[in-house]
Amino acid sequence: MNIEILLLILGMTAVTYIPRAIPAVLIDKMKFGDKFEKFLKLIPYTAMAALIFPGVFTTDPDRLYIGISGALTAGVLAWFKKPIIVCVLAAIGVNMVLYAVIP
Amino acid sequence: MKETSLKKQFLYGARAGIPVVLGYIPVGIAYAVMARQAGFSIIETCMMSLLVYAGAAEMMAVGMYAQGASIIAMILTTFILNLRHIIMSTCVFNRMKSTRLGFRLLSAFGVTDEAFAIYTTVPEKQGTPAFFLGLILVTYSSWNIGSLIGALASDFLPPLVTASLGIALYAMFIGLLMPGIRGNIRLGILVIFTAVINTVLSQFIPSSWALIASTLICAAIGVFFVDLKDEEGGNEH
Repeated sequence: MNIEILLLILGMTAVTYIPRAIPAVLIDKMKFGDKFEKFLKLIPYTAMAALIFPGVFTTDPDRLYIGISGALTAGVLAWFKKPIIVCVLAAIGVNMVLYAVIP
Repeated sequence: MKETSLKKQFLYGARAGIPVVLGYIPVGIAYAVMARQAGFSIIETCMMSLLVYAGAAEMMAVGMYAQGASIIAMILTTFILNLRHIIMSTCVFNRMKSTRLGFRLLSAFGVTDEAFAIYTTVPEKQGTPAFFLGLILVTYSSWNIGSLIGALASDFLPPLVTASLGIALYAMFIGLLMPGIRGNIRLGILVIFTAVINTVLSQFIPSSWALIASTLICAAIGVFFVDLKDEEGGNEH
């Protein structure tokens, strides 16, 4: 094994694991107030919003409509309370049809 | 009796991870193909996924390696890219305060964007430690299976399929978000606001910093105008 790549992998492992582990170590020593608890409960929503936008528009950087149509499909189905897996499969299906139909 | 219920929780978690598989396997393949082209051996390609387990950072690193970047630069980029997990991990472990440290240190390894998103949107009574373990076992396995497939056989999936699977993880995030904002207009406004802020910020600063900034700033703003009901986060998996 290439020693340079080995060092790279080990270094990346450390800097990736440490931010994941710090809260795991500290959490039972911390006492959060109501406001901070609410802040933590809101983070999943703001984080997901930021993970979706603007990234979804560049699902295919050359075809803006791919990301938009997939997101709309998932959004509509999720609005009508379809299971996550249905949203995901339908979005993939719509994109597959678009790729097949539009050269 | 207790054992069967633990097993059930574990299986619930594993089942909740299935939508992630559709996203991780193709991205894992894409990463491994890039890594092989950059000059990584099959073992090195798989070892990075087994140990690092962070898709975006792995892709970035092999891309930089191909361009001859220094090891320090690649490690620093990885650190910045993955700093967001400190926020996500705080949310995850805030729900597992009473577990043992050893268990938390093990499950910390599995905190990805997707595992965080799924775990923190299930109802608290369903989101047990066993649920999380089942969830990360499925997500971790699928990422590594994808990497292995890509490392062994680059042209495994036809391009039409690979391209279409690019939407999978976005669709999953949308599916996870919707139940929470459906009955809560103010939360919906906060989500749209965050999307706009992050889109604008990404034009000016690197996207990994934009994500951290908009997540924290918007959640802090939300504390003052969003009402969270107790049944919030009611996804059924």
